[in-house]
Amino acid sequence: MAATIVRFFLNGRPTEVMVRPLMTLQTVLREVLGYTATKAGCKQGGCGSCTVLVNGEPMVSCLLPVEDVADQEVTTLEGLTPAEGLHPLQQAFFENFATQCGYCTPGMIVVAKALLDRNPHPDRATIIEALSGNYCRCTGYEPIIRAVEDAAHRLNGGRP
Amino acid sequence: MTVQSYYLPGSLAEATALLAEQGPALLVMAGGTVVMPLINEGISTPQKVMGLRRAGLNYVRHEDGAFIIGATTPLARLLESDVIPMLREAARHTATWSIRNMGTVGGNLFVPPPAGDLAVALLALDAEVKLVRAGGERIVPLSAFWTGFLQTVLAADELVAEIRVPEPGGLTAFRKFGRKQANTPAIVTLAVHLVMADRRVQEARVALGAVGPHPLRARQAEAALIGQPLDTATIATVAELAAAECEPFTDAIASDWYRRRMVKVQLSRVLMSFVAEG
Repeated sequence: MAATIVRFFLNGRPTEVMVRPLMTLQTVLREVLGYTATKAGCKQGGCGSCTVLVNGEPMVSCLLPVEDVADQEVTTLEGLTPAEGLHPLQQAFFENFATQCGYCTPGMIVVAKALLDRNPHPDRATIIEALSGNYCRCTGYEPIIRAVEDAAHRLNGGRP
Repeated sequence: MTVQSYYLPGSLAEATALLAEQGPALLVMAGGTVVMPLINEGISTPQKVMGLRRAGLNYVRHEDGAFIIGATTPLARLLESDVIPMLREAARHTATWSIRNMGTVGGNLFVPPPAGDLAVALLALDAEVKLVRAGGERIVPLSAFWTGFLQTVLAADELVAEIRVPEPGGLTAFRKFGRKQANTPAIVTLAVHLVMADRRVQEARVALGAVGPHPLRARQAEAALIGQPLDTATIATVAELAAAECEPFTDAIASDWYRRRMVKVQLSRVLMSFVAEG
């Protein structure tokens, strides 16, 4: 079983890891690099808790061999969080009670980030459709949808 | 994980050469949305896996009245405005954003029902599949591609390289009926292509998904459409025929009885939508 060295950019930083064949990005992030914001839920691509951005596009890291992202740009929740304080999405999730157990939150936020990067003024239906691959078993989704609307409002220069 | 080797060939030629050399022991994977869950769960325990993400099969070209789609083109690519509207509609209703970024057009031909919504639209559009092996290739109509549940005409040394989709010459409609609006397995997926002449149906293709071992053409329903006006009597007959000839199954989503009922109801509605359009 030959190990391979894979290089990619993690939150803008050149990163090099030694991996076993077909090791997933999820395993590398959590178990090799210690980036545990990305969660390990179903490992079936069904729950969305392991979602990361690859070149800005949401992908589920549990189904993605890390060798497939060689030389690509991977963004996790850690990469969105500023050195001081919170990202507007994080702040909006916090203030709108969009987090209960927190397990789905990193996936929700990175997908919301990808959505707002493409569409700064999404309507409610667009937000729901974008988040439809991310399961939350606590909140009933309403606070999460409100948080994304609120974050969009803030990022567009509106007052919280 | 017991995988000993993971190959990421950089071209189609490299991929088919690897397949010829390694034989059926080499598990082929495109976007990984079907294969990786099985490996993560320990249901599939391959020693050698080949991923096609770097094999140069991610492209959409428009030539001679047809769209040529590379097999590993992500489903998300079909959401763009330059694509046949029915394919766009089908892609929008297939899986979720992240899975559409990973799952591929070619890979969608290999997913077990009730998944595989895009393939239903490809079938209604009379797509053809280019199969390539080291030193040869052949074109197979999609309607002759599947032979059973998770079974196709693909030989052990062949790969699906390309899907050719002729631009539709008539009316098209796609409908996925599930238990939710998004991210839902289908109860039934329907894709229809009709060519009308003098207010009568001249050509008909009715494709059904999630009601058989693979996407099916409802041949009896199609035959009953030919030469007929799209009136309520024709639509009732055709919907009954499609419901009778499909091969629905029972799963956690719906019973075979309900799926058959919904073929009738939903196909009626799809055909009525053509009438409403005039």
